Amino acid sequence: MPDRPVSARPPLSSAGRARARRALTLVPVVLVCAFLLLPLLVVALSSFNAANNFRFPPSGLSLRWYAEVFGSAQWLDALGYSLRLAVLVVPVVVVLGTLGGYAVGAGNFPGRRALGLLFLSPMAVPGVMVGLALLYQLQRTGLVGSAQGLWLAHLVVTFPFCVRVVAVSAAALDPALPRAARSLGASPLRTFLTVTVPLMRPGIVAGAFLGAVISLGEVAVSVLVAGAGEATVPVRIYSAVQVQLEPTVAAVSTLLLLVSVVTIAVLDRTIHVSRFL
Amino acid sequence: MAATRTGSRSRSRDLRGHVAAIVPTAFVVVAFLLPLIGLLLLSLRPTDTMNNVLPGFTGAQYAEVFGTSYLWGSVVESLWLAVRVSLTCLVLAFPLAWYLARSTSSVGKSLVFVITLSPLLTSEVVRSFGWRVVMSGEGPVNVTLQALGLVDESLPLLRSPWTVFLAVVHVLLPFAVLALSASLGAIDNRLLQASADLGAGALRTFRSVVLPLATPGIVAAAVIVFSLSMGVYVTPLLVGGANQSLAGLRIQTEAMVAFDQPRAAALSFVLLAVTLAVCGLVGLAGRLAERGRRA
Repeated sequence: MPDRPVSARPPLSSAGRARARRALTLVPVVLVCAFLLLPLLVVALSSFNAANNFRFPPSGLSLRWYAEVFGSAQWLDALGYSLRLAVLVVPVVVVLGTLGGYAVGAGNFPGRRALGLLFLSPMAVPGVMVGLALLYQLQRTGLVGSAQGLWLAHLVVTFPFCVRVVAVSAAALDPALPRAARSLGASPLRTFLTVTVPLMRPGIVAGAFLGAVISLGEVAVSVLVAGAGEATVPVRIYSAVQVQLEPTVAAVSTLLLLVSVVTIAVLDRTIHVSRFL
Repeated sequence: MAATRTGSRSRSRDLRGHVAAIVPTAFVVVAFLLPLIGLLLLSLRPTDTMNNVLPGFTGAQYAEVFGTSYLWGSVVESLWLAVRVSLTCLVLAFPLAWYLARSTSSVGKSLVFVITLSPLLTSEVVRSFGWRVVMSGEGPVNVTLQALGLVDESLPLLRSPWTVFLAVVHVLLPFAVLALSASLGAIDNRLLQASADLGAGALRTFRSVVLPLATPGIVAAAVIVFSLSMGVYVTPLLVGGANQSLAGLRIQTEAMVAFDQPRAAALSFVLLAVTLAVCGLVGLAGRLAERGRRA
């Protein structure tokens, strides 16, 4: 009888220890997550600050900076330019990325791996270098500062991401399905459009959202090729932040963050974690 | 005759996707590869005193890059920053990658996934702006430090090189997490169990089982983070200002402020060469480590 508590203790305390250890391994996870979220949350919070400063915690909440953004011709122009550009970039990069991702992910021809590396290479070269190379090229064709030049730059930057996610979907494709369509008499083009493309849809949708969010946020290459004319939202933020911290920038940034949140929700539903990059 | 026909048909069935590759390949060649080659040629052109590009070929730009500490020093500084950023990202990425790859809680996993991706899909300017606010005189960090009584006056955190370092780590950490979680997810649970059953503690299991098996992921994460941090310029510029010795910033300044494009081109190719050389060495070290273990 007296030894009962003694014999009961070891399993209990080891279970408790295991739980404590599990909780302990969660501490670094939570800390790193907090580090990742900190600047984003601070931007969102400061955009609702009633005062014209960045004091923490804000003294009051208001939407005045949003009203100011939507009342400012400069920011509205930039928002419009960014959206128009994204609308022109996304369909083209989706077509390029779908073809490229299919070739790399489901293709079967010599040099496929090398082609995959070529397609991803714009991601590996520093943005400043991509921008410089395009700037020099555009100068020779007189397109510096033009919407066409920026459009081309955004295509180059978004293309590898699009290829990557489509290639993941294409690699998971069952080759028996397009083969069945072919044996039933469908032409290669018809098979591709009505069987292969629908099967790759998760990757294509993810690629379209990635392309949109990257185009809307792109700055490293855009700054070099944009010239002095119209500016996208990130380029305008880039210029504004170098002068001083304005609360309107926080409001515009929060609008961009909103686009990112939607994209993440879509990505989370269409593709899996480890396959993203 | 019939045999040749089936032969050619089966070969054409084997060949798949090559037609689809034509348009994207043409795009990458025209929009990316040719401009890059143009940039390489530009880096070999002589310039006059007004930085006008002259015809002919010269290695003078490269001699200038290696010869002036203003330029070569910035490559060394970038290298040093990239090494610190890569190591920090690997350490910070490990808990998240482990959680993503191993946790049984699907809600927790989804949450960590979203948090990991959120900076990646947020514009670099927004994140840099965020760090400016976080580290500003009345920002959360200074307010907290003062509230805790650790400092009396707000610290000039924005002028500290550590702030730039932290901001660059923040920009690149998601890449490390994603690269690592792929290879951590591939580790067989039974190996971990076996290691524990044989009496190894958590640290021993980590060192002798997890770390060796995660080597490909570690190498991939290191290569991605290193090569991306070698060329950063937007984040350091917005967080710490233009007066920093970093190659990405110098390239931008040479091209957009000094209008010396050949020199900017030469500097960017030196930066690329150093980046590729280090990445090659990291890859080689990873492969040697794996082979040594197998032997």
